[in-house]
Amino acid sequence: MFLHCLIYELKTCLRAKDLIIWLLLFPIVLGTLFKVAFGSLYEKNTLFRTIPAAVVEQSAESMLRTAADAVSEGENPLLSVTYTDEATALEMLEQKEIKGILYAGDTVTLTVGGSGIQESMLRAFAEQYNRYESVIRSTAQQNPQKLPQVMAALSGEVSASSRISLTEGNPDPFIQYFYNLIAMVAMFGAVTGLHIVSDYQANMSALGARRCCSPVRRAVSLSAAMTGSCLAQSVCMITCVSFLAFLLRIDFGSRLPLVYAAAILGGWTGVAIGFCIGAATRFSSNVKTGITMVFSMACCFLSGLMIGNIKAVIAEKAPWFNQINPVAVISDSFYCLNLYSDYRRFCVKILTMLIMTVVCTVIGIILSGRKQYASI
Amino acid sequence: MNNPVVKIENLVKRYGDLVALDHFSLEIREGEIFGLLGPNGSGKTTTINCLLSLLSYDKGDIAVFGQKMTPSSYDIKKEIGVIMQNVAVFDELNVYENIDYFCGLYIRDKAQRRQYVDEAVQFVGLEDFLKFRPKKLSGGLLRRLNIACGIAHKPKLIILDEPTVAVDPQSRNRILEGIQTLNRNGATVIYTSHYMEEVEQICTRIAIMDKGRKIAEGTKDELKRMIRNTETVTIEVLELDEAVRAEIAALPHVYETVFDGKTLTVCCSGGKHNLIRILGVLQAHAVSFGRVYSELPTLNDVFLEITGTALRDKEE
Amino acid sequence: MQVFKTYLKILKKHLHVASIYVIAFLLTGFAMTFMDDSASLFEQTRLKICVLDLDNTPESRALCDLISKQHDIREMPADEDAMLDALYYERINYALTIGKGYAEKLAAGETDGLFENRFLHDSYSTAYMEQFLNEYVCTVRAYLAGGAASADAAAQACASFETETAVRVVKSGPENTSDMSLAAALFFRYLPYLFISVLMNVLCPVLHAVNKKDIRFRTDCSGVRPLRYTAAIFGGTGVFVAGIWVIFVAAAIPMNGGLYHGTAWIAVLNSLVFTLFSASVTLLVSGFDPPSNLVNMITQMISLGMCFICGVFVDQNMLGENVLAAARFLPAYWYIRVNRMMEGSDAFDGALALRAIAIEAAFAAVLALLTVLVRKSRSRSASA
Repeated sequence: MFLHCLIYELKTCLRAKDLIIWLLLFPIVLGTLFKVAFGSLYEKNTLFRTIPAAVVEQSAESMLRTAADAVSEGENPLLSVTYTDEATALEMLEQKEIKGILYAGDTVTLTVGGSGIQESMLRAFAEQYNRYESVIRSTAQQNPQKLPQVMAALSGEVSASSRISLTEGNPDPFIQYFYNLIAMVAMFGAVTGLHIVSDYQANMSALGARRCCSPVRRAVSLSAAMTGSCLAQSVCMITCVSFLAFLLRIDFGSRLPLVYAAAILGGWTGVAIGFCIGAATRFSSNVKTGITMVFSMACCFLSGLMIGNIKAVIAEKAPWFNQINPVAVISDSFYCLNLYSDYRRFCVKILTMLIMTVVCTVIGIILSGRKQYASI
Repeated sequence: MNNPVVKIENLVKRYGDLVALDHFSLEIREGEIFGLLGPNGSGKTTTINCLLSLLSYDKGDIAVFGQKMTPSSYDIKKEIGVIMQNVAVFDELNVYENIDYFCGLYIRDKAQRRQYVDEAVQFVGLEDFLKFRPKKLSGGLLRRLNIACGIAHKPKLIILDEPTVAVDPQSRNRILEGIQTLNRNGATVIYTSHYMEEVEQICTRIAIMDKGRKIAEGTKDELKRMIRNTETVTIEVLELDEAVRAEIAALPHVYETVFDGKTLTVCCSGGKHNLIRILGVLQAHAVSFGRVYSELPTLNDVFLEITGTALRDKEE
Repeated sequence: MQVFKTYLKILKKHLHVASIYVIAFLLTGFAMTFMDDSASLFEQTRLKICVLDLDNTPESRALCDLISKQHDIREMPADEDAMLDALYYERINYALTIGKGYAEKLAAGETDGLFENRFLHDSYSTAYMEQFLNEYVCTVRAYLAGGAASADAAAQACASFETETAVRVVKSGPENTSDMSLAAALFFRYLPYLFISVLMNVLCPVLHAVNKKDIRFRTDCSGVRPLRYTAAIFGGTGVFVAGIWVIFVAAAIPMNGGLYHGTAWIAVLNSLVFTLFSASVTLLVSGFDPPSNLVNMITQMISLGMCFICGVFVDQNMLGENVLAAARFLPAYWYIRVNRMMEGSDAFDGALALRAIAIEAAFAAVLALLTVLVRKSRSRSASA
């Protein structure tokens, strides 16, 4: 009987093309737009790239050239320096070809075009130069015999800090928009879940009434419907992840199969939530759809779909909320898979989704259990 | 053999202040085609929904096949076939799949199910439309599909709630004949309608409902015997003196005469040769008349006499 | 007039659903405004740094003090997972650990491996801090080489970092000449998303009721001319949309710290024109009569897609040239251009603002025209 119901549930699901098409189209369109918008942001704005600067030599005695050349060498150096006259330098600054102009006079002064981290780094370089120069000058005056040691101390190669890499995953913070996009698609499964309720309740539809008259146990027919919806949702999730991973080449880290698993489970959670909302509320289907949509959009918003760092703010102020916000849980599971090498946190997220799915389904089945209606 | 298939006792259902069913009782015996007749809003569908345990009710007992009917009486539900007032089929499934789906909810065995579905298709005459989606079907065909979905599993009790609404006469006759065939094959049928002609045509026993109460119950003839009227004579007359009308009214068995300027309606109660006597009076006064009808009482007359309003007046 | 009145009556029946969306998106708008610090995210010069001092000597504390003067120290639990989260979401920019034995090694002239850096990626912040730490160590080493004692060298080094270089800023970016408070301007920035979301979600079910095939056929049979009918629908929608617009614009008044004045009215006009655009989008989409459970999906596709491309959620400065070039063909881009003047991100330019608003209005008009055409063509088609 379960199988019979399931087969027909799938048939109707697949033939009601609208929903499936939109569920498939949605991540494809938004994913492409996200890719277009965020594709180069990480490299452009976050990752360090050599800072272009100009040096204007105003004093022949300045050693700035030595110092500047020293930091312009090697792979991915701090600066790339152009030596030029003031007028050209200002013109370059105007054209945003360089970030700042270093004037090599008695001391080094700096002219910049704005205030950002690159400008701050130029400033730090200038200060360093001035500092070193004053140290050398004062040593030369007070302790000339120590000058060679001091010079050596200042110029030697130093790597004071050793890097301890926290992750082998993809550290691009803009990926989280794609995580949230997948989570949103998963939450749209709620629409399918909502559908189940109206199809099986006598007071919501004529079909529901006819089904109520049949001798099939409610739990059997409802779980068949749930299974059908979850399967259909799984197809959507698989397409969504495949599109993002293979066509848009979003780097989800090295464990793509688990990304699929998490996405599919997330989709089921979405279906179960919709089912639960539908069963628990007593409104017209328009209002039910409204509530479901507002709920899922609020969850998406609080998970950082629109503004990326909201989740981090919540993690600081009310960390428990991120543990129960289904969208945050789903998108965090991708995050954990990407950044953490061990599976502990990922398992916690997966377990949370499982619990949510089961709890929502059970509540839904209980609430929409065999019952009589006050009016049809 | 005459066990009650359905027994409803003192059923009360309220929608807020509105009393939809007021201490309604009913007994339906095996093998009957039981007609539930009443104008729109009289409580027919509410009765059916309560009977099917879809609706909660305020008071009363409902037993089907001798057992109390509850939402989880799966064994009882297995034996019931329901055809709702609203067409309840999947738009996404074609004719065959729709019937197969609903039949499959009752019949587990695949081979048997296939046979039953084929029989149901033949029964409603949809052989040529198996691959059609419901949206492509005309109103009458859609109703037939709706019926096929309800009866494919060969239930012992078939409940039809106004199955012929918005159906052309041809399809309607086919449906009515089908119901009689089902009945001959052993099914008990409950049939609700506000079309008296249909109920008169097929039902073996009838209950008339009005405002949530049962106002009469019995076979067709029993019902008609309950009322005074046995014959209504209608005559087209162009002119009629008050004296002549009075003379007709004074004839034996005549209890009411109405003249509206064009037709004379005479209601008779019992007696024979009423028509001849009336025509005799007209002839005696040399009144010329046109068409003449003599009608036996209909259920409408029954309804009219009991409630004081005609059934048709309440139709939408 | 009859159509108009009836349409308003139907709208009234949907007010409860409408209020769900209006309240929800209004709250979202507030939350966005108050949680937003993305504007300063890439403009920072003070880094957020978490320091774990395992050495805890006068020398290491001196370094901590120095760092805290230039940057913001954030308290963090000594947990790598927490640090990873914080680095990823940019709650901190650098996670520094001062190793045990820092002071001793430094006194002995050892410089390598004094610090540990919990590392996520090669960001500017990482480069900046590594540069700083190397410099600091070099300076201390130089003072030591000059004959200073260990603690003195650290103190001298710290003191030498206090000297400032003369910095001249050529262009400091525009001065905030707008008459609108930053909070209100930020709220206005999110209005494109909010308006499209609210209007589509609220109006589509209502229009669905009006566009029902049977009702449309019946109306077509009546004496009402199609154009008049469409005009009545537009009019009714206009009344409703105006109501929602007033609610949102009024809600921003407290954030503005008083009624709008001066150039702030341009922002108000901007939002009104964009509302008209949102309404035309809604009418156009509803012309295709999407099923109710898909409305929100379509809405989010349009609103989120447009808002991300046009710089509603991510600053326009951060988006690539190509993206912005494409975004010019979307009205939200022009809306944001005007709003950036209100935020103080761009210099105020009245002529440009008016041109941008005119472009938005043109979009609205074109879509309205399209809507009329779609309605006309669909009213004849047998399907739908």
